[in-house]
Amino acid sequence: MDHFGLLGLPRQYAIDRDALERAYLERAQAAHPDRFVGASSAEQRSAMERSASLNEGYRVLRDPVRRAEYLCRLAGIDVDSSEPEGGAPAMGQAFLMEMIERREAVEDARREGPSALDELRDGVEGELDDALDRAVSALQQGDSRRAAEALVERRYLQRLLDELDDEVER
Amino acid sequence: MANEDITWDDPGALFQIEEPNAGPRGPARHPGRGIGIDLGTTHSLVAIAPHGAAPRELLDEQGRALLPSVVSYLEDAVEVGHGAAARRVEEPARVISSAKRFMGRGASDIDFAHPYRLHVEAESSVLRFDVGVDAGFEAGRSGSSRRVTPMEVSAEILRVLAARAEAELHEPVAGAVITVPAYFDDAQRQATKDAARIAGLEVYRLLAEPTAAALAYGLDRSVDGGGQGLFAIYDLGGGTFDISILRLRDGVFQVLATGGDSALGGDDFDRALAQHLLEVAGAPPSGQHDARQREEALVAARAAKEALTEAETVTVDLPRSGLVGHRLGRVELEALLEPIARRTVGPCRQALRDAGVRPSELRGVVLVGGSTRVPLVRRLVEATFKQPPLSDIDPDKVVAYGAAIQADILSGSAREGVTLLDVVPLSLGLETMGGIVEKIIPRNATIPIGARQVFTNYSEKQTAMVIHVVQGERELAADCRSLARFELKGLPRLPPSMARIEVSFQLDADALLTVSARELMTGIKQTVEVKPTYGLSDAEVDALVMESLDHAEEDYDARNLAEARVELGRVVLAVRTALHEVGHLGELLPPQERTAIEEALARAEQAMGPQGPQVHKAINAAREGLEKVSEPFARRRMERALQSGMSGKSLAEIESALADEERLAERRAGHEPEPLA
Repeated sequence: MDHFGLLGLPRQYAIDRDALERAYLERAQAAHPDRFVGASSAEQRSAMERSASLNEGYRVLRDPVRRAEYLCRLAGIDVDSSEPEGGAPAMGQAFLMEMIERREAVEDARREGPSALDELRDGVEGELDDALDRAVSALQQGDSRRAAEALVERRYLQRLLDELDDEVER
Repeated sequence: MANEDITWDDPGALFQIEEPNAGPRGPARHPGRGIGIDLGTTHSLVAIAPHGAAPRELLDEQGRALLPSVVSYLEDAVEVGHGAAARRVEEPARVISSAKRFMGRGASDIDFAHPYRLHVEAESSVLRFDVGVDAGFEAGRSGSSRRVTPMEVSAEILRVLAARAEAELHEPVAGAVITVPAYFDDAQRQATKDAARIAGLEVYRLLAEPTAAALAYGLDRSVDGGGQGLFAIYDLGGGTFDISILRLRDGVFQVLATGGDSALGGDDFDRALAQHLLEVAGAPPSGQHDARQREEALVAARAAKEALTEAETVTVDLPRSGLVGHRLGRVELEALLEPIARRTVGPCRQALRDAGVRPSELRGVVLVGGSTRVPLVRRLVEATFKQPPLSDIDPDKVVAYGAAIQADILSGSAREGVTLLDVVPLSLGLETMGGIVEKIIPRNATIPIGARQVFTNYSEKQTAMVIHVVQGERELAADCRSLARFELKGLPRLPPSMARIEVSFQLDADALLTVSARELMTGIKQTVEVKPTYGLSDAEVDALVMESLDHAEEDYDARNLAEARVELGRVVLAVRTALHEVGHLGELLPPQERTAIEEALARAEQAMGPQGPQVHKAINAAREGLEKVSEPFARRRMERALQSGMSGKSLAEIESALADEERLAERRAGHEPEPLA
């Protein structure tokens, strides 16, 4: 059963946060291994496995990015995989060139100082949001291929942002 | 996801493959017989809250609740608590304190000062204290020096606390909830569980200390806020610092984020002050202070720190170092402690960030641990969380209270409780090519949780692979904690990258790791027992259990004796019944045989009498003798039963007829026997 089914929610991007919380807490409570103290080892094992599935489902569904990536996976595109078939879509030459240039921009900003880094950071954050928005609208139109592309793009940007944060902390 | 980037090391020895579903099912429910133990770095205590009662700590004969987590090993006599602590200055190398800081750790982790000589055995990485070595004894078990693991030291403490609880309950303890710092990694948790096993204590659950404190405060039942809200638990104990952000909603306590430092605590305050005092006293002629002088300074530092919670100045004496009447003020103390206390602020901010919570959203901040009595620490907490912290419950006891409440729930008492959803404090990862860590379970993931990873072979000749599991946030495996290396064997011989081995990692509700592996081509599943790199193997724990339980051997003998008696009694009864019923029929029982059987019966009666060790062997010998001489008689009776009208019957019918005969025999046991047919 997929994470949506496990938590009794419709399989779609738009999610009622409150319904998710309630569904998760109710199920997590019932399945928790603490309720199976003294039970047979088979029952204890199944409680542990069910709890683990619920925890994983909740972790994925409550996070907007992970939820979008998961919907792509359900549609047959795994952005965590590098397999040519069913794996993350390959990014175009132009995009990769652009990412290299942006890396260089980080180097320049570092030489310029903290305010330049901050400015760059704000820009990347905006693009991150934009990439997720594009993925979501693609998902809503049923175009998981385009959604996966936007999500992979978002991953590149996320890595760039993490590097910027590391620079700022330094 | 295929992952060819795994490191191929020498096959490690740290694995074993077990049958799925094997293993004990853990402690049973016995309402009211659960206990809560706070196994602390400096102090430990036990509390109970049977059948829904309010939690209360259990006292020793002198009326003290806190048991110093100190064990002395003198002249082969082991002493725990206050008595042991009193010997610390005289015998620093024979008195082990703060053993918790050594639990589940390797030699390279011990980067703090301590008075012990540590020993690491070649084949395992488990640390042992060389007790009494500085007094010039040879290491080892001979004489009055010995080597003990931190788990054995903790087991001594647990044993004393469990005995205290049994005396109070007048019943055996069914199970314990033992608290651990939320920041404890897998190896440290496993070590805690091993200590309980060595002490003969069943563990219901390892509970994070902050979660226990939240339970004790009854935050789930507080009226304002309607049982909802966000809380921070700031826990500064003797040797560890934990910060947790918890959310309460719909009867569930959910840990949102946890952080801390497993090697930071009040002990560091004491050491800093002791160091300062020794500097004031000046270096002795030898150039260095000896172990007794350092221990004296530590004891004095601890006392001064506690006194300065209330007083503005105290007088300190270090007779061994020639320091007399030294005046120490609170301002001076705080200047020494400030840099240490400040190290707690970073983890607090990180935990708030991880939880996505701003200080103003918190409904309460709870203080845990004796070190939160230090006024400087309280000021720092208030500044960090922008509100005065809660401290109505004694910070030394609050954790044990919470553990007792949870133990009562898990023992099966009808008690309204909340469900506790804990998290794994550190990310779990695998070492890949180049020593890079690939994270498979992120930190702060709610437990239990699992992850799967598919591995493949890189050549047709490869039949095994080694997997290195680490815990921590750093990029390189070398900078993380090594949890275990294990080997997957018996890979099918397939062309490169064709084998598919799916490895499942499972963290249970105690955040302890188990691993299973499945070869996807054949579907063969194996459970791989992962033992921490710095832990004891199951066999080692078993050996310690046997060795350390004073009465284990006697108990074992007593059980053997009881079982042997029951067995012999059963055989004697069966033979006597048969003699009564058909013993007079010559074709079934020739007279000499009857004599031999009667002699064997007489020997059996004699064997039943004596008490003592090894007696069960004589009883078993008597039973075997009786079975042997009566065996032809039994066989003839069986043949007769089969011949009498049962030829041509199915085996099931024969068996059922024999069962009838058995039931008849049972009925006859209470009546006058009557001959068959």
